Amino acid sequence: MNRRDFLRTSFAGGSMVSLGLTVPTFLTRTAWAAPTADRAGSKDTILVVVQLTGGNDGLNTVVPFRDENYAKLRPTLRIPTNRLHKVNDELGLHPSMQGLADLLQDQALCIVQGVGYPNPNQSHFRSMDIWHAASLDRELTEGWIGKALRQTPQTLAFHLADNNESSPLALAGAPRSVPSVTSLQDFQLRTNALSSAERAERTKIIEKAAQTSAGSKPSLLDFVKRTAVNTYESSKRLQEVAGNYQPKVPYPNTPLANRLRVAAQLIEAGMGARIFYVSIGGFDTHANQLNTHANLLAQLSGAMTAFYKDLAARGHKDRILMMTFSEFGRRPYENGSKGTDHGAAAPMLLVGGKVKAGVVGEHPSLVKNVIRGNMRHNIDFRQVYATILDNWLGIPSKDVLGQPFNHVDIF
Amino acid sequence: MPNGIDPRWAWAEYKPSAKSPWDRKKVGHLYRRAAFGATWDELETALKAGPQQTIDRLLKGGDGLDDFERRTDLLKKKIADANNAQQARAWWLYRMLYTPHPLREKMTLFWHNHFATSNAKVNNIGYMLGQYDLMYQHALGNFADHLQAMSKDPAMLIWLDTNISPRNKPNENYARELMELFSLGIGNYTEEDIREAARAFTGWRIRDGKGVFVPEEHDPGVKTVLGRTGKFKGEDIVRICLEQKSAPYFIAGKLYRFLISETEPADETLLEPLAEDFRRSNYDFGKLVARVLRSNLFFDPRSYRARVKAPVDFALGIVRGLEGHVPAKEKKGRLLGTPALATALQAMGQDLFHPPSVKGWDGGTAWLNGQTLLYRQNLALAMTSTTDPRFGSRLDPAFVAYHHGVERDEELVDFFLDLFLEGEVPPETRQNLLDYMQKSKKQPVPVFWTSRDAHQHRVRALCHLVLTQPEFQLD
Repeated sequence: MNRRDFLRTSFAGGSMVSLGLTVPTFLTRTAWAAPTADRAGSKDTILVVVQLTGGNDGLNTVVPFRDENYAKLRPTLRIPTNRLHKVNDELGLHPSMQGLADLLQDQALCIVQGVGYPNPNQSHFRSMDIWHAASLDRELTEGWIGKALRQTPQTLAFHLADNNESSPLALAGAPRSVPSVTSLQDFQLRTNALSSAERAERTKIIEKAAQTSAGSKPSLLDFVKRTAVNTYESSKRLQEVAGNYQPKVPYPNTPLANRLRVAAQLIEAGMGARIFYVSIGGFDTHANQLNTHANLLAQLSGAMTAFYKDLAARGHKDRILMMTFSEFGRRPYENGSKGTDHGAAAPMLLVGGKVKAGVVGEHPSLVKNVIRGNMRHNIDFRQVYATILDNWLGIPSKDVLGQPFNHVDIF
Repeated sequence: MPNGIDPRWAWAEYKPSAKSPWDRKKVGHLYRRAAFGATWDELETALKAGPQQTIDRLLKGGDGLDDFERRTDLLKKKIADANNAQQARAWWLYRMLYTPHPLREKMTLFWHNHFATSNAKVNNIGYMLGQYDLMYQHALGNFADHLQAMSKDPAMLIWLDTNISPRNKPNENYARELMELFSLGIGNYTEEDIREAARAFTGWRIRDGKGVFVPEEHDPGVKTVLGRTGKFKGEDIVRICLEQKSAPYFIAGKLYRFLISETEPADETLLEPLAEDFRRSNYDFGKLVARVLRSNLFFDPRSYRARVKAPVDFALGIVRGLEGHVPAKEKKGRLLGTPALATALQAMGQDLFHPPSVKGWDGGTAWLNGQTLLYRQNLALAMTSTTDPRFGSRLDPAFVAYHHGVERDEELVDFFLDLFLEGEVPPETRQNLLDYMQKSKKQPVPVFWTSRDAHQHRVRALCHLVLTQPEFQLD
């Protein structure tokens, strides 16, 4: 057996699998088959994670207008009560969030109050890693969604990325790397070939290069090859669905809405995509936060509402769950620059046809029991993850989170 | 995680030997890490000159730097006056491509990633270019001076809110990132240290485009930071940070990742000789860079391709390899403009003057995902084709090969593999390319093409295929 024969046979056998040099899930038959078992997560439920990067000011997102401490601690940043969208006798949504307020009326918005974790960290990056990995361990290398995908390797996931955005830790550890897509138009390998024969020949060389044998040790080169094999295969499939998509409702022209629109297109394409990850940045409002924050919440609310209504109009209302989170909230008292510094507990927003509409959990006190001035959490974010994993995606949460967490009443 | 590398051996000077000769692989590696890639002539020259002379030249820079700086400074003033972010991106890329001192530009980029400040918030290109000047000035200079000056830099004062931090309710933004990201690293300070340090940094405002200290805006009280107590000002906090044991390790560790390897962080034992020397030298960063570049570990196989190319390195490596930067008088109007390049880099995730967060770009495997890989492969196509309007005929692999007297298929395959990959690819890669050259001879071409046109089309296709090899993604 010469060297090339050896390589050929080893690719047909185990080494290809061990390197993960296999075609993406959705190209295999099983990914297309609809689940039949009648249990949670078996009915093609979809999860869209919306990351608010920078530390969203939860207190001005869901405002406890009855609490006298709110006005006291926020002399310049408080939102006047009469401008809020009332949720109940104590809480109101920020005036920018008309869309989400409407969804609350439609029984499609759930607000989980006071979410956080023990010994909250005030570093953006460490705290974000904790939320991504759903762990407080020192070294964090895998994400909660990546681990969840290991339990359900047939599930197809997408990261809808901004230009300057890398793949999140939350998706690390997946059995196959989750593709990041910015634009379906640009998600293809081009050649400036003169003929289809030439194009085929050149594409073949490029694809072959990604499949050549790698060394015995895992290396950066393996990583590049795995990424390349996944990408070339994904791009072929995505080009088939990349046609013109006509939303049922207008989407605002914002980067977040554009990314959610791609998610809607991928869902509508019926390729079995169930998990989507999107981010919106700019929430680190240390200074002059009033207008900045209002704009961000308007973008968030506009994009989430359009996406939900679009999919609801296509009959997917009960398949959709969107979940927002941020690495931390902000401190109850404002700083001297008309902004707020890094805090701790904050609300999460859930949107979907099956959520329990209204408020879940207690609003944490702004002054009592605070940790160095930061609000204390009542609900661990891993309880929310666990509930979604078990009751929405049908993935045993203990296998992902490493320990059981009490569920939260969100469905 | 212990690296299991003897630190004394690691940082001792590399000397060519029969076992570890000075070869094309080492030269290509050096020019990628300490510059933005090499031309064929630079590779050949360095092969003959040997490591010491080649590294000396990289550290010192080539002739004509003063003249180059004068010319680009004039341009810079205009860009600042116009507050034009796109021109600023292109301007910096122009400097990277055309400078006689690429290492200094490269280390300026290192500092941009370290003090990651974005015009998205600063919203003033004059200030961003002012910060660039500061980083360029200290790129291979003294880190203590650099950090002190950075704490008063107008772009930084805006970026992390020092300029609007009042004495009675200080803003913690700068104090936190100074410790977490600029000097100590997480775990080497407490939340209380940050709150106290924030008080010390009050009093800074921007007047006439400069950072100035306004005593009446400063909290003059006693603060306790990192175990020290006094009526500290900002300068004192920077000094106290630099006195911490962790500071030289933190910077040396970051440089290790930039120049040696992204695959495994260096442990304290491995960093110790570098960090202790760095501290003893009073934070002479240029000396630290020189030591790393000359070291055994830098030229060890463990460091070869142990990083993922940043988009800047990916793109500029192609431009330099294809001699798109060689001045017009030597090579007939093939000078490459950089605005289109700046746009391409944004899509690939490295938007100069606009890092994604104060932590900078994550780098490493984060550079590559499905979308960015496709952008890279398609940019390589645009740069090797003479029909893409963005780069036009200014980059032409066929011309470069011809210029170096390379014509036959086998020579062409080896030329491009040597130029971009030091020939370090599996034998089947070379064979696949040879097969392609054979087959492509039979492909139909437009009837009005000469045989020379057809040949050049094949050469450009070949160069694109070389640039799409997975190995080319690595640094």
